Amino acid sequence: MTDNEVVLRLEDVVKTFPGVRALDGVQLEVRAGEVHCLLGQNGAGKSTLIKVLSGVHRPDEGRIEWLGGEFKPANPQAAMKAGIATIYQELDLVDDLSVAENAFLGHEPRRFGFVRRGYMSRHTRQILTRLGHGEIPPGRMVRSLPAAGKQVVSMARALSHDAKLIIMDEPSAVLAHDEVDNLFRIIRDLTSNGIAVIYISHRLEEIREIGDRVTVLKDGRTTAANLPARTTPTRDLVSRMTGRTIEYVFPEQSTQDRGEELLRVDGLGRAGEFADISLSVHSGEIVGIAGLVGSGRSELLETIFGARRAESGTVTVRGKTLRPGSVGAAVRAGLGMAPEERKSQALLLGEPIYRNVTLATFTGYARGGFTNAGKEIAEANRIADLLELRPRDVRRPVRTLSGGNQQKVVVGRWLLGDTKLLLLDEPTRGVDVGARAELYQVIRDLAARGVGVLLVSSEVPEVLGLADRVLVMREGRMVREAPAGELDEDTVLDLVMAGSLQAEEVTL
Amino acid sequence: MTHRLLARPELGSLVGAIAIFVFFLVIADPFRQTSAMATVLYVSSTIGIMAVPVALLMIGGEFDLSAGVNVTASSLFAAMLSYQLSLNVWVGVLVSLVFALGIGFLNGFLVMTTKIPSFLVTLGTFLMLQGANIAITKQVSGQVATDNISDMDGFSSARRVFASSFEVGGVSIRVTVLWWLLFVVIGTWILLRTRFGNWIFAVGGNVDSARAVGVPVRQTKIALFMGVGLCAWFMGMHRLFAFNTVQSGEGVGNEFIYIIAAVIGGCLLTGGYGSAIGAAFGALIFGMTNQGIVYAGWEADWFKFFLGIMLLFATVLNMWVRRLAVRR
Repeated sequence: MTDNEVVLRLEDVVKTFPGVRALDGVQLEVRAGEVHCLLGQNGAGKSTLIKVLSGVHRPDEGRIEWLGGEFKPANPQAAMKAGIATIYQELDLVDDLSVAENAFLGHEPRRFGFVRRGYMSRHTRQILTRLGHGEIPPGRMVRSLPAAGKQVVSMARALSHDAKLIIMDEPSAVLAHDEVDNLFRIIRDLTSNGIAVIYISHRLEEIREIGDRVTVLKDGRTTAANLPARTTPTRDLVSRMTGRTIEYVFPEQSTQDRGEELLRVDGLGRAGEFADISLSVHSGEIVGIAGLVGSGRSELLETIFGARRAESGTVTVRGKTLRPGSVGAAVRAGLGMAPEERKSQALLLGEPIYRNVTLATFTGYARGGFTNAGKEIAEANRIADLLELRPRDVRRPVRTLSGGNQQKVVVGRWLLGDTKLLLLDEPTRGVDVGARAELYQVIRDLAARGVGVLLVSSEVPEVLGLADRVLVMREGRMVREAPAGELDEDTVLDLVMAGSLQAEEVTL
Repeated sequence: MTHRLLARPELGSLVGAIAIFVFFLVIADPFRQTSAMATVLYVSSTIGIMAVPVALLMIGGEFDLSAGVNVTASSLFAAMLSYQLSLNVWVGVLVSLVFALGIGFLNGFLVMTTKIPSFLVTLGTFLMLQGANIAITKQVSGQVATDNISDMDGFSSARRVFASSFEVGGVSIRVTVLWWLLFVVIGTWILLRTRFGNWIFAVGGNVDSARAVGVPVRQTKIALFMGVGLCAWFMGMHRLFAFNTVQSGEGVGNEFIYIIAAVIGGCLLTGGYGSAIGAAFGALIFGMTNQGIVYAGWEADWFKFFLGIMLLFATVLNMWVRRLAVRR
């Protein structure tokens, strides 16, 4: 496999966006007929790299060589014409066109202005048969296909272009287990025909099974290239992904004892999201949940908060069981939540800061149907002082604040009422490093005042540095619970990526 | 096969059209005469010719609120140009085609360039045209209607094309009915048999995907707006040569009738789904109700009320048909 000719070579590729160096010197070498896996944490630059290869972004520096020549696609079509096809994570099909029409969209075969439907349909059937899905009728509307079928169509589209390199961005994320087997069969068939595949997945076991070589990205750089996919120990792979260059500054761990139990979750579950989750949070305690996107952690928080209805299990706050699926009940019991998508779910961007702060406790400021703006502003000012909001003027629209300060507004909202327990989902996403430290301090201060905090983050160091106790989630299940001091980043990453170390070593 | 038949967007409107046809057949005696049918077909054709490009545009994910007044604008343009410069009317006809296509291009260009929703852009051009229609007509001819052009060169030949009638078995049928059929056939052929048709579904259904695979999104949408301009010109010519003169305030409100016909015919407001045949059934439903109420001897004022009921009913029915299609 590794003797095949090199089809794609990236040298020192750099791509910057305003304020971010998304790619900071990427090296990559892909050979014909191999499955080359890209590994890296969220934000390591995988998505940007895909977009550079598929012609969506142009690199600022560096060199890309494709089939022996320089590769500078002007747009996605050019990349596709050159033989690089991408299957994106989100299925990118047109629901109300047929399978064949989707496969050939944008390069329909024509004769005298007519689409050659017969040819298109025959050719699509050939491709589908080659993909092991000859049973999908080319004339069927894509809307009526299940997710796995849609992915086959995405793949048929890539093959209709005579692609020599197919980039697959987490193709298994939307598939059930047996469908993954079929995906692998297709990939093997492609590579045996000399087509190269760049395979991106968070699941180590998949990389072991299908991959030939692995390149690891971290903070936009290649930290390891061309490792053998089957034999490189997990520990080596994981350590290449970790060890941040960004310094996290965490406030001193508090020494105070944890207080009474605030929250108890027992056997909570929702089909297809998470199952049998039990946990507790005490007053003054910060509990962190580590897990990858899709591990069910955000869904868990939303279910505790009542935004999703629990299918099994109970949520108890200070001895009182909450009515499932009722945000009102959760808020009355003293729960507050800062959701992951703060822009869409939590903030009214055009409204002034004080309005956003008082939103949850609005009724307290209304008299005879009118809100008392003076009192609102005074209260908001108090919160702004507490959180060191910058700029301090609470009349400014939230839109004008930085990400970190916007997040403070979301947190601050819950400090107005008598919130006993805060649920924070990715509180530092999109927040710059300096503001992060402040936010960490705010969260610590809250805990010191007796508030319990349940925190979700994809950034493992953040969970370890901030939380007193850490829970690790993988594929909807709690796989480990330990005091933060007993875990390190490598161990947690081992846990959140598929397969425990022990199981791995048995098979090696 | 049955499922593919059920999945067709026009199924709901076909069922609706049959139901309404039977309904008026039963309750209104005059409705049963062939001459009444001819009238229904004529009324339907005046909506239907416009409903085809409006449906295509909606499948492409856009609206054109200026469609109704663009009909009037192009007929005013042709009438005044020919009359004031004493030209052969065919000159006015052809120059006004360029004008109507230009309005369509402008709509599409503004939508694609400014990224403002087409609802707002075409609301703007709608208001502008509505005002200009009346103001310029008053300025040029000193009244709110254009001068009669029936004695001018080329009038009779133009009338034969745009506004004549022919006899079938003793019943006089307006030529627009044939044109309507032709437009529906062309619209359906474009949608289902050409790659431009695929692009229409793609830009309306998943514009990012369309762009990623190389569909020229901008050109596709501008072409769709120009298609509306083309048919607006055609209807404008029909009105001009049917009545010899044009009222400058006409056409306001018709844009919604076209959209209603398209929606009854199965087009989604969100784009990506619909059919030209469905829009034809929608127009037919409009025409049957319009005339049926008169034949049934009811107060004609109730027409809009029934139209509203049918719109709601058709939308629910279409939603159900669509769900059936997904479930297969």
